[in-house]
Amino acid sequence: MSSLSPDMLETMFYRMALARSIERLLIRHTRDHKFSGWWHPGEGQEAAPIGATAAMSNDDYLWYQGRGCAWALGKGMKPGPILGDLLGKMSGATRGKGGGVPHWADYSIGVMGEGATLGSVYPLAGGSALASKIRKDGRVSLANFGDGTSARGTFHETMVHAAAWKLPLIYFCENNGLLVGTRLGDVSPTTDIADFAAGYHIPGIIVDGQDAVAVYEATRVAVARARAGEGPTLIEAKVVRRRGHYAGDPQNYRSESEFDDYRDPVDVLAAQLAGNAATRLLEEAEADVTAAYKEAMAAPSPDASVIERDLYHVA
Amino acid sequence: MSHEVMGYNAAMGLALVEEMRRDESIFILGQGVATGGWFGAEKGLSDEFGTDRVIDCGISEAFEAGLAAGASIAGMKPVVNMGFGDFALIAGDEIYHKLAKWRYMHGLDVPMTAVIIFPIGTMGGAGPEHSSCTEVLGMHFPGLKVVVPSTAEDAKGLMKAALREPNPVLFHSVQGLGWSRGDVPLDPEFIVPIGKAAIRRSGETLTIITYGSMTPRSLEAAERLAGEGIDCEVIDLRSLVPLDWDMVLASVGRTHRAMVVHEAFKTAGPGAEIAAQIQERIFFDLEAPVMRLGARDFPLAQQVDLEALAIPSVDEIAAMARALAQA
Repeated sequence: MSSLSPDMLETMFYRMALARSIERLLIRHTRDHKFSGWWHPGEGQEAAPIGATAAMSNDDYLWYQGRGCAWALGKGMKPGPILGDLLGKMSGATRGKGGGVPHWADYSIGVMGEGATLGSVYPLAGGSALASKIRKDGRVSLANFGDGTSARGTFHETMVHAAAWKLPLIYFCENNGLLVGTRLGDVSPTTDIADFAAGYHIPGIIVDGQDAVAVYEATRVAVARARAGEGPTLIEAKVVRRRGHYAGDPQNYRSESEFDDYRDPVDVLAAQLAGNAATRLLEEAEADVTAAYKEAMAAPSPDASVIERDLYHVA
Repeated sequence: MSHEVMGYNAAMGLALVEEMRRDESIFILGQGVATGGWFGAEKGLSDEFGTDRVIDCGISEAFEAGLAAGASIAGMKPVVNMGFGDFALIAGDEIYHKLAKWRYMHGLDVPMTAVIIFPIGTMGGAGPEHSSCTEVLGMHFPGLKVVVPSTAEDAKGLMKAALREPNPVLFHSVQGLGWSRGDVPLDPEFIVPIGKAAIRRSGETLTIITYGSMTPRSLEAAERLAGEGIDCEVIDLRSLVPLDWDMVLASVGRTHRAMVVHEAFKTAGPGAEIAAQIQERIFFDLEAPVMRLGARDFPLAQQVDLEALAIPSVDEIAAMARALAQA
């Protein structure tokens, strides 16, 4: 049985419901407002981020990849700055610079940001993990990535060193089997990314990525190992990309039968909640997202001065 | 406070030692740094600070630069010796996207200290992939500061400024000057501010704008021309980002003639930007076109005689200045 308390399960479900509500809202918004944002839908993949972040402390470092919004929500960000950002408003997390590809960061809760050159977070997460090792601050760094970027050179460069130095680092792969439209098996000798762990002499764990609780349990073990100074873990969550690579992708390269065995992460987690908590939390999340959306729509757009912000810091 | 005559690389190393004593968040990383560094700047650091703060890496430049970005975002002050400026291209994403853009694209006005050491330029047969002058890349991608010291004193003072700078700095050490010696202040508070050029020689006939390895050559050319009645002002830029436009424009406004000399390739090198801005901003003060002298636009040969022929010589600098004075 899971080590999660009913309160923790409800927090996870509420955050997952926020993510799902935002995903559905963006579909409507794209339709009604010809939204041009470079949104990469994360619907169906919410369990992995919600489960993984639930196992992290507030000040653990998260470096996420750009699909969906559940990583930031899981770590405690609110819908307001996320929606404001997607709509390119001053109320957004990047203060007017947003527009679809997420660059939400909040260092105070360990949301360190996103590298939009996909797979670029490996050495960045290695850097925060090394910082923690030098400072002995007990923090863990998590590098989140998709299966496609396991081909990156820095995947290897970083883990070779992280494993040798026993850095408090977790590689967390969301394996949906697709690189835009290319099948992972066509470009990789294995479709199990966890296989690569053997070469680094670290644990490689495969987990059901549709089940947030299962992901939580796997990540909890990796976090404990990292905090104990025993080094990195590679976790591979098998997930399903329910929608296109980007909002509007016709997905001609897929067939409906791919979804025959699909289990929705919201349903899977709802079944583990007591009583009518799921229904209540879904309604609560929907109301919170609707309010945040209204605020974001009413928020001011950036003026030209925003271009000149944040280039250099003046002490 | 006293001075000491020491080598350019040793002066850089002294700055590192002083700042590492002062600030525990500074650590240094690279290939062979714990064993003294390829060019000696890191000699003795691991003895004093241990291998927690003086860290050897495998052959992994993208990782090293990315690690610096991540550690600096997490509040540390990493120094990476990349070994050669050429390797900027191996770590392009990490340097020109991550270090340069991370705060900007996330909308964060926060300090981020990181120093990337790029040894640049010819040193006698290092070949076309270990002699490149890559400093222009740091000028092209906004978000980085870019320095190129030409003396031992500046090697120390600019390194100290870089380690106290709340923005990422690309620190280009000049390979050809690595063993040159100079008088270096021992005061631990001695700093050369980033963004301030230096007039190395005052003159009235024309202005030579230069930096790095071409500073001593330009000064030698100027001394030679002085005997011919041509009085050159020589400006050592020291920093390319930010560039000391006030000093450059004031000097050229006075002499009305300007030429830019650098070891980097002439085409689309730093001199292209400098010449363009001078003519854009003070065209009607000029008596002659702004001239440029840089490396010939061919990959550098490893053969040392060919290598020497590819970059500006004292003779070539003097010849161009002579022609400019008469234009």
